[in-house]
Amino acid sequence: MPVLKGKELRVVGFLCNWCSYGGADTAGVGRFSQPTDLRIIRVPCSGRVDPMFVVKALLGGADGVLVSGCHPRDCHYSQGNFYARRRLETLKTFLPALGIDPDRFQYTWVSASEGQRWKNVVSSFVEKVHQLGHAPRIEEAAPYLPLAEKGDTPRAPLRPPLRPLSYPAAGTLAASLEQLREKIRAALPELDCVIGWQQGFDALHATPLFMRKPEDVDKLTWGPLNVHNLATYLPQFKNRKVGVVVKGCDSRSVIELLQEKLVEPDNVRVFGMACEGVVDMTRVQKTLDAGNADGAMCADTAPSSVGVEGDNLSIEGEAPARLRLADVVAEKCRTCDTPVPLLGDVVEGNASAPAGPAPDAPPSPPSLDALDSMTPEQRRGFWRAQMDRCLRCYACRNACPMCVCRDHCIAESRDPHWTTQEGNIREKLQFQVIHALHLAGRCTECGECQRACPVNIPVLALKQWMNRSVRTLFDYRAGVDVNAVPPLLAFAVEEKNIKEHGL
Amino acid sequence: MRIGVFVCHCGSNIGGTVDVPGVAEVARAYPDVVFSSDTMYACSEPGQAAIVDAIKEHALDGVVVASCTPRMHEPTFRRTVERAGLNRYMFEMANIREHVSWIGKDREANSNKAAELVRMAVEKLRLNAPLYPKSFDVTKRVLVIGGGVAGIQAALDCADGGIEVVLVERESTIGGKMAKLDKTFPTVDCSSCILGPKMVDVSQHPNIRLYAHAEVEKISGYVGNFKVDVRRKATYVDWELCTGCGLCMEKCPSKKSPDAFNEHVGVTTSINIPFPQAIPKKAIIDPTSCRQFVKGKCGVCAKVCPTGAIRYDMEDQVVTEDVGAIITATGYDLFDYTKYAEYGGGRYPDVITSLQYERLLSASGPTGGHVKRPSDGKEPKTVVFIQCVGSRDRSVDRPYCSGFCCMYTAKQAVLTKDHIPDSRSYVFYMDIRANGKMYEEFTRRAMEEYGVQYVRGRVSMIVPQGDTYLVRGVDTLLGEQVEVPADLVVLAVGAESSHGAPQLAEKLRISYDNYGFFMESHCKLRPVETNTAGVYLAGACQGPKDIPSSVGQGSAAAAKVLGLFSRGRLESDPQISQVDVRRCVGCGKCITTCPYGAIEWMELRGEMKARVIETVCQGCGICTVTCPQGAIQLQHFTDNQILAEVNALCLS
Repeated sequence: MPVLKGKELRVVGFLCNWCSYGGADTAGVGRFSQPTDLRIIRVPCSGRVDPMFVVKALLGGADGVLVSGCHPRDCHYSQGNFYARRRLETLKTFLPALGIDPDRFQYTWVSASEGQRWKNVVSSFVEKVHQLGHAPRIEEAAPYLPLAEKGDTPRAPLRPPLRPLSYPAAGTLAASLEQLREKIRAALPELDCVIGWQQGFDALHATPLFMRKPEDVDKLTWGPLNVHNLATYLPQFKNRKVGVVVKGCDSRSVIELLQEKLVEPDNVRVFGMACEGVVDMTRVQKTLDAGNADGAMCADTAPSSVGVEGDNLSIEGEAPARLRLADVVAEKCRTCDTPVPLLGDVVEGNASAPAGPAPDAPPSPPSLDALDSMTPEQRRGFWRAQMDRCLRCYACRNACPMCVCRDHCIAESRDPHWTTQEGNIREKLQFQVIHALHLAGRCTECGECQRACPVNIPVLALKQWMNRSVRTLFDYRAGVDVNAVPPLLAFAVEEKNIKEHGL
Repeated sequence: MRIGVFVCHCGSNIGGTVDVPGVAEVARAYPDVVFSSDTMYACSEPGQAAIVDAIKEHALDGVVVASCTPRMHEPTFRRTVERAGLNRYMFEMANIREHVSWIGKDREANSNKAAELVRMAVEKLRLNAPLYPKSFDVTKRVLVIGGGVAGIQAALDCADGGIEVVLVERESTIGGKMAKLDKTFPTVDCSSCILGPKMVDVSQHPNIRLYAHAEVEKISGYVGNFKVDVRRKATYVDWELCTGCGLCMEKCPSKKSPDAFNEHVGVTTSINIPFPQAIPKKAIIDPTSCRQFVKGKCGVCAKVCPTGAIRYDMEDQVVTEDVGAIITATGYDLFDYTKYAEYGGGRYPDVITSLQYERLLSASGPTGGHVKRPSDGKEPKTVVFIQCVGSRDRSVDRPYCSGFCCMYTAKQAVLTKDHIPDSRSYVFYMDIRANGKMYEEFTRRAMEEYGVQYVRGRVSMIVPQGDTYLVRGVDTLLGEQVEVPADLVVLAVGAESSHGAPQLAEKLRISYDNYGFFMESHCKLRPVETNTAGVYLAGACQGPKDIPSSVGQGSAAAAKVLGLFSRGRLESDPQISQVDVRRCVGCGKCITTCPYGAIEWMELRGEMKARVIETVCQGCGICTVTCPQGAIQLQHFTDNQILAEVNALCLS
């Protein structure tokens, strides 16, 4: 049934049974007249309100969503609204990333005795929604691709890396690698397998290596082509002893998995080396294709070897080429502050020192800058255009080391049925939002989701936005401390950074 | 599925602003709806019979009733569908009264909204599943918090009913406010003569365990099985040994301790038994004034105590009690009249509160029952009573009527005449609220028989004049300003919630209003129940109440507890979380967030999974939101059921 034309907008309310639903009843008993737009869904507790219900409603055409629970400290279930406050505030700061006006979503507290207050809350929220008018639908937004080439990741002007990316001389690197291999060989008898990298189908591509025998260890490589985050494989080895070779960034994923008890500390051996950055294969390909490299070269011609020294990537073969690492390095490496793995058996190597003093806050990554620079309307157009291209292949999810649900991902289940199999923009974006919300306070920004995307959709930007929210709201960074409690699994009675929303 | 929809007119309550037959008509087209009709009063006997008949006639397996709030009649209609052989959870309610017809007059918008709410209910019902309660054992013991007259009554009634009672009182004696009163209205019988025997019964009843000078620190668990931590505050006297002989009080050299029992009229000794009829009649040391504590030397009481009961090194002790139900009877406190600057704000010694006056009237009070002015000890010849101090006054955020002040003021004026036959009394009042049995007659007697002058109007200022006071006010019936010289002014201070009431409410997980009074489950039909199962209210903690009402509620709460315990086992609410072990990846996030510890690890074919302890889960659903793969679902509020409601609104 459509909303009454010209009279009403679609406003959905989620009210806890004990306080706010009672407050709405009290308002009714007191005959306090209210706008008719609101439709109330009764839930036991505001802690039952999944932020994804709100997203589902907003993407599905709601013009406003209101959540109301018991006042803090007065929850019928003692803690539900404390969790709700963190979840819903996180959501509120995330909505603008999709181009949704955060004023269309509000959460508040109304007790069962506050009939008058409920009337005021409904009246002022509905009035605000009416001021905003009908919510623009993302699938109806004008496609917006700010970038010259369709399909490219949004590229703000390249910022100089935080640290000078400089690989040691070939001999030194080889010696460090041999040291690492020695450690692995020594540990291998106790382990089912050690996961590392080896040369892939050509010298320009690395591929994961599963070392089970000592001779396998010889195949282990180290360098800027080791793009994969091998922590992704660890949960599959649950209950088996396994080793994994990590870069600095990968080690944060291992920490996160340990924290969530998805791998057992006794069963995992971590080996690592200081990393000087890995390439963004799309950029390498593009640079080579564009003929920007020194010397003409066709990417189809398989290179025979790839060498790295200092800032130079030298590709040998039929079409040799010289690339500067700073030009083709992955986005995450430009702002990397953890080149050395944070745990495990680490070969220090010669990690270069940061260029300057460490900044107070991590610098904002370029794709987040690009999203920031857009207007809400442009963001809607941007995601509309990007989701148009999404194949829904779930490569982003499968590559994500924190996506541990695997076969039980709610994107593909009927019970619960969060997304349908329709290939439309709404369902595809709903899935990306699920991914981002499920990673809130867990994502280490390893960038595997974006790297794995066959059509180069900058899905990482959503997680970067989420991470910034989590950092601002909870002073929390994932993947640093094994013993930390992630912010959405905890609460504070008085939240330092969450202000009460006046309604 | 075959769904039946019943849209209620509720007389004209809904029918007045909603096109009820129209809504029923629209609902006929909703998916799985095979029967839809309007009904005048769905909750009435014929209304319920029609539902039962329709279920049988049309082979319905789910019912939607669109009427009032489910907080009111959901249990009623669940029983109805159960009578017709359906599972009680195959029922949904659409609230088209409190949330529609009563809050808007636009018939078109209301009807449209009502139809949508029915649609949402139908969509949810399509995903409902039969749920079956489990039964569990009950600890047949009750905790009563507060030993005033309401708590005493509740404790005695429960104990007489054969269940064990744990009575926790914050002060060192039970009795509450009533123990401080001299006489009670409207019979003017002696307060301690009627309360005293009840207090003694509490101390002697084999089923009552009394913790005086103790507070509830922590409450966990749920109806039938609460665990309560009680902090027994240090008394510095071993009550097992103390005989209440009072020798310590006689010899105590520190005689300037604040006398809280006498409302700070006068002082008392640092080691003290509050009043002669105290229960338990045991001494307690006030460490803020005791020389042994303040100066580190004295020890007189320890020397004189014939049983050697003094323990200067005593510490607080926390005891844990298992109970199945809780009655809160924490009473009220007096409004802080010093907020009224025009009445002196506490600066004038002879402007006192009604409860202080009560102590002056009492034979066990600091003046031995002789009314004496606090300033000079003289007998007052003119006493002015001012009513509604901290009641019915928005300027001090006390808009409510405290209910009993009119009556006790009349009583005090009568007593003043009894104590000082040549005295004159004036009462400044706004309205006289005497709506109880024999109340109106009593205030009449005060005026006619005892010559109390009632002046209808507020007092604007009290001005000291020599050693007396000039009370300036208005007589609104005469329409002129009046000035009354007074030797003593008594302020009829109103009631406010007991200090610490909101904190206790949070421990009990019950609601309280803006003023700190606890919320009852329904203002008319469930006055002593709360929304938390197993927690009941008695007395003024729910709102200002006089003695008969408090006693009545104490008995009512006791009856509720006895009723609860009369069933051998309780049924658990099946609206709890359930784990789909195939989907659970064993990350334990649900275990981390559950406020009740209701989820535990379990090993299943070598893998760790989550498992819900059915009797501990309270059905909040925090875990369901925590679980990324949706493996733990709150029954009756599953993701799919809520999504069905969202989709009914947004996607259709």
